[in-house]
Amino acid sequence: MSCTCGENNCNKNSRRDFLLAGLAATTALAGCGDGKNPFAPEQPVALTGEKVKLLSVNGEVIEIDRAFLKPVPDMPHLSNAEERRGIPGKKFVMVIDLARCKNLRKCQDACNHMHQVHPGQNWIKVLSMEDADHTAPYWEPTTCMHCDEPPCVKVCPVDATFKRQDGIVLIDSDRCIGCRFCMAACPYSTRVFNWDEPVLTDAVAAQPYSCETSMPQKKGTVGKCDFCPDMTRKGELPHCVSACPNGVFMFGDMIEDSVTNGAETFRFSDLIKDKAGYRLMEDLGTKPSVYYLPPVNRNFPYESGLENEKTTDAHTHSK
Amino acid sequence: MKKLRLNKYLFLAFTFLLLQQLQVAAQSDSTPAKKIIKLHYFNVNNSMQYLLLESTLKRGKVFSPQQRKAYALYLDSSTAGNLIAQLLTDENGKAKAFVPIALKAAWDATPQHTFILKEGDDEVISDYSISKAKISLDTANTDGARSIVVSVMKMDKGQWQPAKDVEMKIGVERQGSILSAGDAATYTTDSSGTVSAEYKKDKLPGDGSGNIILVAKAEDNDVFGNLVIEKKVAWGVVTKVNTTFFDQRTLWSTRFRTPYWLLLMAYSIVIGVWGAIIYLVVQLVKIKKLSKEPNALP
Amino acid sequence: MKDLTVSSSEQITSDLLPQPFGRRGMIWTGTLILICIIGAFAYYRQLRYGLVVTHMRDYVSWGIYISNFVFFVAISLVGSLITAIFRLANVKWSTPLTRIAEIIAVSAIVFASLIIIVDMGRPERFLNLFLHGRVQSPIVWDVIVISTYFCISLLLLYFPLLPDLKILLRFKEKTGNALNKLYRFQGSFWTGTKEQFRISDKSINILCIVIIPVAFCIHTVTSWLFATTYRPGWDSTNFGAYFISGAFLVGAGAVVVAMYVFRRAYKLEKYITELHFEKMGRIVVLLALVYVYFNVNEYLVPAFKMKKPEEAHLVELFAGEYAPMFWFAILVGMVLPIFILLFKKGRKPLPVFIAGIMVVVGAWFKRYLIVTPTLLHPFLPMQNVPDSYRHYFPSWEEWAIAIGSLAGALLVITFFARIYPIIPIHETITEQHEKAEIE
Repeated sequence: MSCTCGENNCNKNSRRDFLLAGLAATTALAGCGDGKNPFAPEQPVALTGEKVKLLSVNGEVIEIDRAFLKPVPDMPHLSNAEERRGIPGKKFVMVIDLARCKNLRKCQDACNHMHQVHPGQNWIKVLSMEDADHTAPYWEPTTCMHCDEPPCVKVCPVDATFKRQDGIVLIDSDRCIGCRFCMAACPYSTRVFNWDEPVLTDAVAAQPYSCETSMPQKKGTVGKCDFCPDMTRKGELPHCVSACPNGVFMFGDMIEDSVTNGAETFRFSDLIKDKAGYRLMEDLGTKPSVYYLPPVNRNFPYESGLENEKTTDAHTHSK
Repeated sequence: MKKLRLNKYLFLAFTFLLLQQLQVAAQSDSTPAKKIIKLHYFNVNNSMQYLLLESTLKRGKVFSPQQRKAYALYLDSSTAGNLIAQLLTDENGKAKAFVPIALKAAWDATPQHTFILKEGDDEVISDYSISKAKISLDTANTDGARSIVVSVMKMDKGQWQPAKDVEMKIGVERQGSILSAGDAATYTTDSSGTVSAEYKKDKLPGDGSGNIILVAKAEDNDVFGNLVIEKKVAWGVVTKVNTTFFDQRTLWSTRFRTPYWLLLMAYSIVIGVWGAIIYLVVQLVKIKKLSKEPNALP
Repeated sequence: MKDLTVSSSEQITSDLLPQPFGRRGMIWTGTLILICIIGAFAYYRQLRYGLVVTHMRDYVSWGIYISNFVFFVAISLVGSLITAIFRLANVKWSTPLTRIAEIIAVSAIVFASLIIIVDMGRPERFLNLFLHGRVQSPIVWDVIVISTYFCISLLLLYFPLLPDLKILLRFKEKTGNALNKLYRFQGSFWTGTKEQFRISDKSINILCIVIIPVAFCIHTVTSWLFATTYRPGWDSTNFGAYFISGAFLVGAGAVVVAMYVFRRAYKLEKYITELHFEKMGRIVVLLALVYVYFNVNEYLVPAFKMKKPEEAHLVELFAGEYAPMFWFAILVGMVLPIFILLFKKGRKPLPVFIAGIMVVVGAWFKRYLIVTPTLLHPFLPMQNVPDSYRHYFPSWEEWAIAIGSLAGALLVITFFARIYPIIPIHETITEQHEKAEIE
């Protein structure tokens, strides 16, 4: 797996591992009778039951489960019912800062790569937007909005797409019949369809299907951004959030009232209030979970994003 | 003459093609690949400690993890008796090592240690040094203003001395990150080895009992590596897990939570119409039975 | 007098017996079978390679399969119109047309279900609709009403067929052994007693009453596949009534075409008379006028406002890429037939037949205009996609399958007319008797 991230990212990776280690440590200590950590990920690590002895900083002998010997401990296998219920007590939300976007498409590359999206299709679209004739053009990345009143879920005839209690809308590619009603219903045009046999690596094709990783994709079913619930269960951030070098994507939990782009962390309510956050197509009543911060005090001029533009897109700028 | 000239042209053409191939081959490998191997030491809550190895290959602007590469990690000297662990990187190019109990004597001997990483017979890293540190986190409440006091100590000549200029993040543990306690992004210890962070995040949501976890972490410090300490306090707002949104019967719920009005409409229409159809099929059966009667006349 | 009636009924019977195919019939059937085979091969390719063999892509995710589906559902409403409504209203002249209307309805609804399965990305998971069906979804409503309508239409075809089966059983030499066995299996229990007739008449009455609301449901629910989305051109409260009025029109057009073809092919001039064309012509005019009214509502009102998402869509229909097709559908599908049929000379069999064809062809294009242009005007601009995603013209596989489904529907009707009398024999005889008694 190649990551096309900048140097910064590898540092971010180590910081996340650090935090994961902290969480793992507390869970391990909890196993030693320290009291349950209320903010540990809802699904604990898949413990093997086998204990390993190691040396502490003070030269004492401590025991931890063998599962923590891995840099990223294995998570326990989730049943389809658990994947459909989601993580209780959380309400995932994303904030996209339009003032920082330069159309680098690193988010798109990371997401397409990690989910093995069919070449030519994108789960994240970075759109060149201009709301009206005399208003400023800007770059707008769009993901699935994970609406609280999702029109796609309303019309699905077989419960193949569903809303979980943590706010995430997922697709079950084992259930989907490929009627594409959800694609017609989505006003954000965020869903893509596997018209062809998906192009997968052998490793991914051999995996059992999981709604949370949305892999392996299947021919004749629908796919879309899934807010990477497999990453959030491990305490990590979705791939687009970590891939963006400008910190455009901020991901977090509305109930915890915090969002982060890996480097900076903000209180969600303060951020939306201070920067006048808004949602797309609010008047349709879909109640999306993705907030946008308006393109004010831009980090980059709009034109700097044109270098990355594909010629086919240049003809279809909005308005 | 003609043959000579033909041969000359063939020779030139051949050389030209050969050079082109070489050029192409050279271009694909022209960007040199650089190995980036990093070691990080972690001290968690003054107890658990481990080392994280990251092995990546940088070609141009593209980073790719070096998977399934074998390394050997040693404590202070690269002799067999000082082997900490044999490492094999996973698909992300990472590996983790804990200090084994066998090295207790060597570990307790000095406050400062050097970690040596060997790849085969080459020493890839030979100068990663860590000093033992102790980090503590306390809370203070002066006139209603809460603050977090973090102090870092290092072992020096058998005694714990204050460690100054240690930069760290101090705040509240959140999903995938730390929310800074006050306005600053980081806090640095002063000459007394302590730093105080004013806790300004009022009414922050906590768990079901109003608890939040305060975290202080120093990232990749030159002397101490990574230090992290956590403490649970009841400074948060009590937040109960509320499933009423998810459990309600709406048009976007699963089929097990269909709104009652829709169920009523759908079932009454279906029962009404299919009741009529079944009745009609019964009538057909009746007609059929009538044909078997003795006084059935055409 | 009595002798006349007896020979009349024999005459009627021999006229209306199903006839074997002549040369033209063979060519017709052969062509239809060939088209179906090509369609089946195209579907095999689609099953093997996936829906990528079509030219539907992420933006235009519904193409001519769906517009064909809507077209079929629309035509299938004719069963309720001609058969049910006319029967309940005691319209005597409609008797020869009831079976034609009913078989068009049954055939159309069968192929509507087939074409929707063809459109599915995972047809092998069809059972999921029943095992995991969500009652909140308009597609599940559509599945329920379509299967209900199919059952009712079959029954409405079967009950009046019973007396005719008894008549057919008498003509073993003419119909042949195989067909005779079929008739015996289907209707040997019918002996024609007063009691049997009483039950049958009551049942037909109940069917006629029940089928009308179900027919309304079927096309309203199909229209809700579009009206329950936010898209410009689909987000309309008008859709239920608009679709139903269109369905009645195209159904009446289809019956007129079928009337003319059967009249010519089986020499049924005595039974499908010029009076029938006169009456059906008037009905088609009425239905076309109602449909024009709904079209005006559907297009003029949003055009007055020109809301941003709808502006590009409407301009494209009126004056842009889809303008030729749009005006064709309006003029040829609605306006011209009205003008032809308003005049008495226009209500002769041939002009009515031509008007009927115009209505049906115009209706097919109208359904295409309802489905595809809207999808080319999403709310967010079409960017970050390959160029082929921005346009839609069906691939050869899609054309083959769509035309194959139309051919299949015609094939079912053709075979039905070969096996059963296309005009109800018994009811025609009964009516002649009643007329004679009055005279």
